[in-house]
Amino acid sequence: MAVDPAALTQPAFDGLLALLGGDRDVAADRYLDIRRNLVRLFEWRGCMTPEEYADETINRCARKIAEGDVIRDVATYCIGIARKLLLEMGRDRARQPWPLEEAPEPQAAAHEPDHDRDRHVECLRLCLGRLSAGDRQLILRYYQGDKRAKINNRSGLGRALGISAGTLRMRALRLRAGLQLCAGNCLQNRGATRP
Amino acid sequence: MRSQRNNETSHVKYLLGKMTEEEQGDVEDRAFADADYLSALEATEADLIDDYVRGELSQSDRRSFEFRFLTSRERRRKVEFARALATITSESKTQEPRAPARPFFMRALWGWNPVLQFAAAAAVLICIAGGAWLVSENAASRARVAALEAERRGFEAREQSLRQQLGEEQNRAAALAAQNRQPSEAARAPLVAALVLVPGLSRARTEVEQLVLSPSVQIARLDIELESRDDFPRFRAELRTRRGEEVLSRGNLVRRKSGPGFAVSVDVPASALAVGDYELALKGIAADRTSQDVGYYYFGVQRR
Repeated sequence: MAVDPAALTQPAFDGLLALLGGDRDVAADRYLDIRRNLVRLFEWRGCMTPEEYADETINRCARKIAEGDVIRDVATYCIGIARKLLLEMGRDRARQPWPLEEAPEPQAAAHEPDHDRDRHVECLRLCLGRLSAGDRQLILRYYQGDKRAKINNRSGLGRALGISAGTLRMRALRLRAGLQLCAGNCLQNRGATRP
Repeated sequence: MRSQRNNETSHVKYLLGKMTEEEQGDVEDRAFADADYLSALEATEADLIDDYVRGELSQSDRRSFEFRFLTSRERRRKVEFARALATITSESKTQEPRAPARPFFMRALWGWNPVLQFAAAAAVLICIAGGAWLVSENAASRARVAALEAERRGFEAREQSLRQQLGEEQNRAAALAAQNRQPSEAARAPLVAALVLVPGLSRARTEVEQLVLSPSVQIARLDIELESRDDFPRFRAELRTRRGEEVLSRGNLVRRKSGPGFAVSVDVPASALAVGDYELALKGIAADRTSQDVGYYYFGVQRR
C-alpha cells in the first residue's frame, strides 16, 4: 500500500472539518480524537507506523467527502477505512518477502544501552518528584511487586484510599500516562537516543 | 470483579493478536464507544508491558509480544518507560498511605450534650495521664532500642562494605572474562546473553561455541568479528537451524569498532532460540545493493 500522508488538500481537509462540526474549534477537537483513536487502532494491530496509517485513513475519508460521498458518522467511517487498510497491509505482507534492508529492528527497546536506560530512570525520577506525595506513593505502590504481591498491593492500596479497584486502576493509569509524557519530554530535552 | 477479569483476559488476547478478525473488531468497536472500556484496555496494555519487562509472560505470550507488540516506535517507548518504572518501584519501599482525615469526628463532638462532653473530657484526661506514665516507662525501652538500632547500623555498614567488596570482585571477574572473550561476559547484564563468533570456523569443526541462556535472558547478542577486507556499508544476517529452517533475518546492520578490528552485532529474542545447533550466514551489502557472502558461523544453544 502506498501511504502518502501529504496527499490531503486544503479543500478536502476543510470539507472534513465542516462535517465534524460548525464550530472550527469543536471540529478540530473531534478531528484530533478520531486521529488519536486511529493511531491506537493501528498500534494495537501491530502496525509499524501507526501515525502514517492514521493520516492515510483520514486522507481517504476526506477524499471521499470531497467526491460527494454521504457520510453520517465520520468516526465510524474512518474505522471502516482503517480496517480496509489493515487488510491491505496484511495482503501486502503476505505477497512480498520482507525487504530486509528497510526492516526496522523490532527489538530495539529490549536492549537499550545502559546509559540510555540510566537517563530514562533519571528523567522518571525527576517527573516523580513533581507529583504530590500522595500521587507519587500511589503510583509507586500500584506498580510495585510481582504477580501475587502486586495484586495484594493493589487491593491494600484501594482499601487504604477507600476507592474501588476500577477507580484506583484509572487513577494509576492517568498518573502513568502523565509521567510517561513528562519523562518523554525530559529525554528529548536531554537528547537521549530515541529508538 | 469477575467481569473485570474476563475483560482483562480478552484484552490480553486482543493485544497479543490472539483473536479472530471479528473478535478484534468487537473489542475495537466497544473501546471506541465506551471510554471506560478503552481505559481498561489501556490499563491492561500497561500491565502487559510491565509483565514483559519483569519477565512474567509465558514463552508463547513473550513471543507474541516481541513479534507483534514491539513493532511501533511509540510502543517501544512504552516498554522503555515500563523498564524505568520497574527499576524505580523495585528500589522504593513505599509505606501504606494513610486514610484521609475524618473532620466529621470533631464536628460530631461539638453536637454532644454537656454530660457527654464532660465524660469525653474526663476520658481525655485519663488518656493523657496514662500516656505520661507510658512515656516514662518507655524511656528506658527507648534507650535499649537506641542501643539495638546502633548495633543494627553497625551491621548495615559492615554489610555495605561487604557488598562493595563483592561488587569490586564481580567487576574484576567481568574484566577478566572480557579479556578471555568467554561467553560468560554476558553475566554482567542478566537480560542479555552474548556470544562472540570469530571468522575461520567451519561446520566440520567438532567443538562449536555454545550460547548458554538462563531463564531471565531476553536477548541473545551475537557479536561477529569481521576481517579487515569485510568493508561493506551494511550487512545482512540470516539465522538458520543446522537443518536449514530459517529462524530470522536482520538487515541494515552496520559494523562497529571492536578492539583492533570491526564487528557486527545481531540481537535475537531469546524466545526464538530453542536448544540445538545453528548456522548464521553473514552477507555484506555493497552500495549498489549487491550482496556477497562474508561468512558462515556455527554455534549451539543450551538452556540453563
